[in-house]
Formats: sequence, C-alpha cells, structure tokens
Amino acid sequence: MVIKPDTYLLTAALNRVIPPVGDLPGAGGMELAEEVIKRSATDFRFQDALTRVLGALPSPNDFLALDDDGQDDALRTAESSHADAFGLWLDVVYTVYYMHPEVHQRLDWHGRSPQPEGNVMPPWDESVLGLIRKRDPFWRKA
Amino acid sequence: MTTAEHNPGRTADVLIVGAGASGAAVAASLSEAGFDVVCIEQGHWQDSFKYPTADSDFEFKAMSSWSINPNKRRLPEDYPVNVEDSAVDPVMFNGVGGSTIMWVAHTPRLHPSDFRVKSQDGVADDWPISYEDLEPWYDLNDHVMGCSGISGDPANPPRSERPMPPIPIGRDGEMIAGAFDRLGWHWWPSDAYINSTRYGQGRDACNFCGHNMMGCYQRAKASTDLTYWPRAIDQGAELVTGARVREITTDSVGRATGVNYLDAEGNDRHRTARSVVMAANGIGTPRLMLLSDSKNHPAGLSNSSGLVGKNLMFHMFGGTFGVFPEHMDPWVGPVANIILSQEFYETDPDRGFLRGYTFQMSRGQGPGSIARGVAGHRVPWGENHHAVLERRFRNTLGLGPIGDDLPEEHNSVTLDERLTDSSGLPAPKITYRVSDNSRALLDHAITQGTKVLKEAGATEILVNPQSRETGWHLMGTARMGDDPERSVVDKNGQSHDIDNLFIVDGSVFVTGGAVNPTPTIQAIALRTADYITNNRGDLKA
Ligand SMILES: Cc1cc2nc3c(=O)[nH]c(=O)nc-3n(C[C@H](O)[C@H](O)[C@H](O)COP(=O)(O)OP(=O)(O)OC[C@H]3O[C@@H](n4cnc5c(N)ncnc54)[C@H](O)[C@@H]3O)c2cc1C
Ligand code: SF4
Repeated sequence: MVIKPDTYLLTAALNRVIPPVGDLPGAGGMELAEEVIKRSATDFRFQDALTRVLGALPSPNDFLALDDDGQDDALRTAESSHADAFGLWLDVVYTVYYMHPEVHQRLDWHGRSPQPEGNVMPPWDESVLGLIRKRDPFWRKA
Repeated sequence: MTTAEHNPGRTADVLIVGAGASGAAVAASLSEAGFDVVCIEQGHWQDSFKYPTADSDFEFKAMSSWSINPNKRRLPEDYPVNVEDSAVDPVMFNGVGGSTIMWVAHTPRLHPSDFRVKSQDGVADDWPISYEDLEPWYDLNDHVMGCSGISGDPANPPRSERPMPPIPIGRDGEMIAGAFDRLGWHWWPSDAYINSTRYGQGRDACNFCGHNMMGCYQRAKASTDLTYWPRAIDQGAELVTGARVREITTDSVGRATGVNYLDAEGNDRHRTARSVVMAANGIGTPRLMLLSDSKNHPAGLSNSSGLVGKNLMFHMFGGTFGVFPEHMDPWVGPVANIILSQEFYETDPDRGFLRGYTFQMSRGQGPGSIARGVAGHRVPWGENHHAVLERRFRNTLGLGPIGDDLPEEHNSVTLDERLTDSSGLPAPKITYRVSDNSRALLDHAITQGTKVLKEAGATEILVNPQSRETGWHLMGTARMGDDPERSVVDKNGQSHDIDNLFIVDGSVFVTGGAVNPTPTIQAIALRTADYITNNRGDLKA
C-alpha cells in the first residue's frame, strides 16, 4: 500500500526519470503516479519493486528539497543499491508512460492496439529471390 | 467449444496428457482412426476475440498476465519453475493449444544431418529415425496447421509445394535480405504456420498486426485449438480442461492404467485407459514421470535408463539488433516470421565449435517494449531518455541465432523439494549451464549478425550475449533411441519399459537441431499416432 506522501515522491521521481519533452511535461507532471501505483498493485513483483525503490529514496520532503542534480543522484543511489527492483520499477513506469495517447501523438505513432484493425499486408514480390535462387543446393547429405 | 457427452467411468483406448502442439495432433489422428480418445489438460480454452492485442494496455499485459514466462504470469493453471540454477528461463503457455497460443509460428524443419550428429560430427547421438522417415508427417502437418512459404530453398532438401504463398517479407525484410545477398550468404523467406491467405475453418489471413506472442485475434496464426482440436472433437475425442494430472497410474506388473488428476474444482479423480500418451512438453512430461514413481518404477515412470529429465536442451539465443537511420515501422507484420539464413547451419571445424545455427530475423514492437529494452538494453532514464527512445523506436530490427544446443546429462529437470504448484504438487527445478560449444557458437553468431546488420545500414548495434527468457524450445528430457539403457522411448515413441506408454512431445528429441522444433514435434506425434493405429490394435476396445 503506497500512502499519499509517497505519491508526491513518486511524482517528483517520475519527472526526473522521464523528463519533459516538447510540449509534454515530465511523466510526473502528466499525473502518471496514480497509474503507476494502480498497475503495480496488480502484481506483487511490481508492488515490491515500487515499495523498495521508494524506500531507497530520501523522504518525500527531503527529495523534494533537492535540486534536479541532487534528485538524480538520489535516484542513481537507489538504482545501484536496488538494481533489480529499480529495473522492474522502470519497466512499469516506461510501460505506463508509453501507453499514454499524448505520448503516442508526440512519437507520431498510431497508438492503436494491434487489433482489430491491424495493418495492410504488402504484396509478395517473388523477384526478391532473384539472386538466392541461383545458388546450388548446399544442404549436407546424411 | 464443448466436447461430446462422455462416460467418465469408461476405459478409454488412449488417454493423452496435455492439449498442446503434440497432444492435439495425436488426438486428431487417433480419433480419426477410430480410437476412443480422452485428453486431460490443466488449462482452458481461449477466446481469440479476447486476446489482449485488442486492448490498449497490451504492452502492460505482455509483462504480467500475458507474459510468456509462467513464473511471471502465475495463473492457477501454470506451474512455477525453479530457475535458480539455470541460465535460461523456460517459457510456455498452459491451455488448449498449449504453447502454440503464444508461439511465433516460425516453422522450419530439421536438416537430414541433424538426425546423424554422432556419425557426422562425433558428438551426442544419432536419432533412431531419419529426415526421410519423418518427411510424410512433416507434409501432413504443414497442411493441417497451414503453412505459408515457398519451396526451392537451397539450404534444405526439396519440399512439397507449400499450401499458401509466403508471408510478404516487407521493406525491412528486403533490406536484410539484400545484405545477405551482398555478402553472398544464404537467406530464404520463412516457412510460417501463419495464413498469408484465408485457410482452414474460420481462419482469416494475417492482417500484419505485428504481435504474435499474445494469441492471434485474426486466427491467422495456427494454434492447435483452431487446427487439430476441432477435428479431433468432431471425430469424438473428449477433452477435459482445467484438470491437472498428478500421476500416471500403473498395475501390478507396471503397465499404465490411466491417470489420477485434480479436476477444475480440485477434486481427486481417476480415469482409466488402455494406453497413456504424454504430451505435456519437455518439462511437464519428465516432471509427471518423476511424480509417478511407484514400487514397480522406483525412479519414476519409464526411468530404467535414469534419463528421464536429463539432457534438457533449449536453443541458445542471443540478440543482435541493428538501429537504422530510417524509419522501418517494425511493428507492422509478424514479429519473427520474415526471413531466415542457414549459411552457418553445418559444422565447419575452422569456426571452433560443432554444429551451427539458423539466423531468424525479428522486428521491434511498440514503444513500451522498446523502452524496456531491445536485446536487454533498457533505454536509460533521465536527460537522454527521449533521444535514445526516438532513435530506437521505429528503427530497430533483429537477427537472432537459433543455435544447436547439444545434449548434456547435467542439464536437467528434477522435482523441487520445496516449490509447489497451485495444487500442491512439486514444481520442476531446472539445472542448466551454457556449454563452451554453445558459447562459441553464440559468439560466432553475434559477430556474423553484426556484419549483416551493418551491411544492411545499421548505425548502432545492440548485443545481448545470451538472452535469459528464451527457453521456448523444450527438448531432450525423455529421448528416443534403440538402446533401452541410453534412451527412454523407442523410435515410435513407445516407452522401452512400459509397452502402453508413449511420449510425443519435444522430450523425445535426441539432439536439438538448429531450428524451431514444433513442426518436428508434431511430425513425430503424427508418426507415433500412425504407429499406434497400424500396430497397436490391442489398445482398441
Ligand atoms: C513465446 C513462444 C514462442 C515460440 N515460438 C515458436 C516458433 O516460432 N516456432 C516453433 O517451432 N516453436 C515455437 N515455440 C515452441 C512451441 O510452442 C512448442 O515447441 C510447442 O508448443 C511444444 O508442443 P508440446 O505439445 O510439446 O507442448 P505444449 O504445446 O507446451 O503443450 C503442453 C500442454 O500440456 C499441458 N500440461 C502440462 N502438464 C500437465 C499436467 N500435469 N496435467 C494436464 N496438463 C498438463 C500444458 O498445460 C500444455 O497445454 C514457441 C514457444 C513460446 C512460448
Ligand atoms: S501478425 Fe498476423 S499472425 Fe501475428 S498475431 Fe497479428 S494477425 Fe495474427
């Protein structure tokens, strides 16, 4: 269970992990902390990673009092002391961020789920085999 | 889909454990031949319209409830696998269709030389069957599953006309193929059990959605719930789902009599049968055989050779990905059914390792999976994050080797002493080390793969020396052979120790070859089924 002050801490951390770009604020500014917390709660591995990472950072007030470089240093310290948990936490954060429609728009990606629309199958062009078809069989007889 | 009303108190002719790639093929073949068939499967039917590829959070599901790794998915029908002593994590799906629900459906065949490794290269063992012995069943399986491809590949013996034209290789495939051409190296469009046109009952053509490993919404990818099972059920086979076999039962002389299983409500049940066919895959089958020890079979079922669970083979896999300067839109099209190269398939003593590998091209996917890491290279957090992501997303293509992984007895499946599944049964423990031969093979593949990707124009190469979550191919743990002291089953898949017990999954592989194994697994299963039909009339009521 993540308590409210940790939401502030997570929001600030997210802004350093995925900083602002173009018109978009950082991941924290996009209010993704709640979504990260919600998704983490669906799987104990993610929940555990989130708890460990937040636990390895300074208290919310101390973290917020740091400047950008100080916050990055604190994150790096947590990363080196809790490498596996930090990596898994990043996976969740990245996945949540890259599910966001505004992020898709910025990447100029359709952002649709693969189905049901799919994509168009291009035609099969046999001419690509021109060169390789000239090669003699070379499989090893047994 | 429901199965016909059956009397659970009857003695079936054949009881199959596992409804995946091999179990389904046997069920269809034997029910067609008039055998009374029942199959017990721990998982459930899937509804293709509910596959997560139609959900906006599909990238999150790929790392949780739809992970290919049962240790991450952790559904009640999955069993956990202890991988503490393994360099590779086995991956699989447990349900009707088995791992074909999640597979990529890249479907090359073993080469003739793969069946003669000992004679030709002086290592491992020869198979008791040859490529020619299996060929008719390869062809049959290609037709039932539905194979897209084109014959004429110079790296392989001639093969019958493919039922469908190849899956178009796309602009990205042409780019990599062009690089192989310029290097003078072999490549060929992949055989794929993916519909390039409508084929089979209710199965559409692939719509290039780009994500094979979470089930196919289009039903274009062949999974045995769509191919063999409807036939088997029409022919009267019974399929019991949500039922976990915990033991093969035997009589006073040690012959198989049926199974004990836990039904969907957790009740202990028994089914009797005149014969038992194991199709629970290269981990599930040895696990169950070890769980079935008894007075007559103190070391586990059919284990007089001591080889049940030994010689586990995966295919060693390492990633080589190229980042290209132009957009490739790699989320369009099947993820790894594009082209293959078998330039380095056979042994060349100058290379410093025996046997060889197939290169399989792959595409990148959505931004979440790219950010989480291509070839194990997670996009860094912080100031560089966006620049690196943008460089890799849309622009990344891979070339991975499926490398021959020679059998070694210490690579094994045993029963874990502490870990249990949701039914309280001991979980399998995997012990697996990467051999020096496999390491040298992978290093060679990484060097050559880098050459190809650079020739194709890649400006950045991302390498993973050996990927962990790539135990897709589970082989060798109840190998076939002529010598009962050196093998578990004979060339027909019949146990040396128990004449009414058969094994038809990847456990029976003697060596792994350097291609994805499933067409071979299914061809072996169909061949065993024909053996039973033609020679074991005694198993029919
Ligand atoms: C992500 C992924 C990608 C792959 N890609 C390819 C590919 O491109 N090409 C290729 O050739 N192969 C591929 N494979 C491998 C392929 O899926 C397997 O080789 C094939 O499915 C194995 O068939 P099988 O019948 O041995 O076992 P499975 O298909 O795994 O079926 C075994 C079944 O047995 C059931 N079972 C196990 N234990 C019990 C029990 N105690 N009681 C009841 N039921 C039980 C399981 O639930 C399961 O449904 C891939 C696999 C994965 C996971
Ligand atoms: S790429 Fe084709 S075969 Fe693969 S899941 Fe999509 S529609 Fe199915």
